[in-house]
Amino acid sequence: MVGGSLQSNTNIKLPLAFILYALAAFVVAQIVLLINSDLLTMGQFRIPDIWMGAHFLLLGYAVMIAMGAMYQLVPVALLTPIWNQTFGFIQLIVTAVGITAFSILLGLAPNKALYGGMIAVIGVLMFIIQMVKTINKQEQKNMMTAFILGAIIFLSLTIVAGFLLAWNLSIGGIASHGSILSSHITFGVAGWFSLLIFGFSYKLVPMFSLSHGYSMKWAKPAFFTYMTGLVILIASFWAKVATLETIGWIGMLGGFFFFVLDIREILTKRMKKKLDKPFSFSLVAIMNGLGVHVLAFAFSVFGIHNITVWGWLIFLYVMGWIVFSILGYLYKIVPFLWWTYKYANKIGQEKVPTLKEMIDEKTSVILFTLFIISTAGLTVSGLLQINITVFLFQGLLTLTSLLYVLSIIRVLTK
Amino acid sequence: MSLENKVGAALFEVIDPELGINIMDLGLVYGIAVDVEDNVNIVMTLTTPGCPMHDSIKAGVERRISQIDGIGDINIDLVWEPAWTPAKMSERAQEMLGFA
Repeated sequence: MVGGSLQSNTNIKLPLAFILYALAAFVVAQIVLLINSDLLTMGQFRIPDIWMGAHFLLLGYAVMIAMGAMYQLVPVALLTPIWNQTFGFIQLIVTAVGITAFSILLGLAPNKALYGGMIAVIGVLMFIIQMVKTINKQEQKNMMTAFILGAIIFLSLTIVAGFLLAWNLSIGGIASHGSILSSHITFGVAGWFSLLIFGFSYKLVPMFSLSHGYSMKWAKPAFFTYMTGLVILIASFWAKVATLETIGWIGMLGGFFFFVLDIREILTKRMKKKLDKPFSFSLVAIMNGLGVHVLAFAFSVFGIHNITVWGWLIFLYVMGWIVFSILGYLYKIVPFLWWTYKYANKIGQEKVPTLKEMIDEKTSVILFTLFIISTAGLTVSGLLQINITVFLFQGLLTLTSLLYVLSIIRVLTK
Repeated sequence: MSLENKVGAALFEVIDPELGINIMDLGLVYGIAVDVEDNVNIVMTLTTPGCPMHDSIKAGVERRISQIDGIGDINIDLVWEPAWTPAKMSERAQEMLGFA
């Protein structure tokens, strides 16, 4: 028999603090977008107020959640403790200050955004150092390591490109602003977030569904095909060759499809027949992600380059795939963190609640349904440019986000 | 009741908080041995290596057994081979998961 012990010992306060900041940023982002719903209707995404909302959503919410979750999940997925937790707390403060300053400056004084951006970049760099040092300690690298490292490389590229954009807004002088912007968005949403969600899903989906005996045979093809597609797509922004763009989207669609094949196999071999509802919502997000990739490929083949259509497609990519994935997984991660903090020392001594008892599943179903309705309604209204319904659906999305955050905070009272 | 049986019975009260099923019905406990000095050695596993509940469940086992009168030292040997499989679960656990 081979024995072994894992002492991950991540201080629960670290991931929780990241998550609490992120939840606040999530609501702020929705409020900013609600106030500017008329601009959304007109399909004007490249203006300061929308930048502020988008960066509160993507940097403040999604990146901070991803960071907090990684502090908790990397030791679990890679069986390796975090390199330096004190460094993690310092990184949290620097990043939170940087992201807040950067997002606000982007909206109110874009010509000074560079200064907020600098602090945010330092925070992200600290995070990258933390993760690379942690992954270096992992004894046996596997495909999850590849996905996580790939995601971190793209996070680095995202902040380099973002920094160049902020430089251009503040000082100017860098050519190819449009190509850098397209690369920045692709690095961030597809490179960083998608690879990260792929990687963690290989650990979380079998864990939450109690699946055994699956092969992960498509993980390697998924990684290399998606990475190749990404690189070709980004090259197309610079070479400005339409065929390259289509080939890039084929690669990304293929990679995503291979990932879905693995997830499907994991689910068919699951022991837990009745899945938790929030986790099922994360699985819905995977299908959304596949759908958006199919649409992007189709638009590319048929030469649809309308900026409003692509703007809303990016919105769907962010909300339907990335944000929905995170919203679902958080309903598992936060109860786990809080349970560990409050009840871990009582197991075996007295009756403690199960993780499922920490959340209100019925409420989660209502909230997730509202998220789907508001996101779909917002997209259709935006494409049809109907001001009143854009306002109403963005209002519904804001209200749902606020209720979601309250439902997560309620977990912390149990 | 022998001390082994008392330990075994006590472990039915240690619940995996993710699944809501005790670790005995889940088949996580591979062996319980009590020596002449009443020291307990438990060989057990978890449903997956790197289970986030690792520390909590192991400490819970230790805590529950320490409540038994006359128990000596407690040693928990966490192993990954043979790997846990769903076949190790009792029928009751399989029913609770909707599998049986």
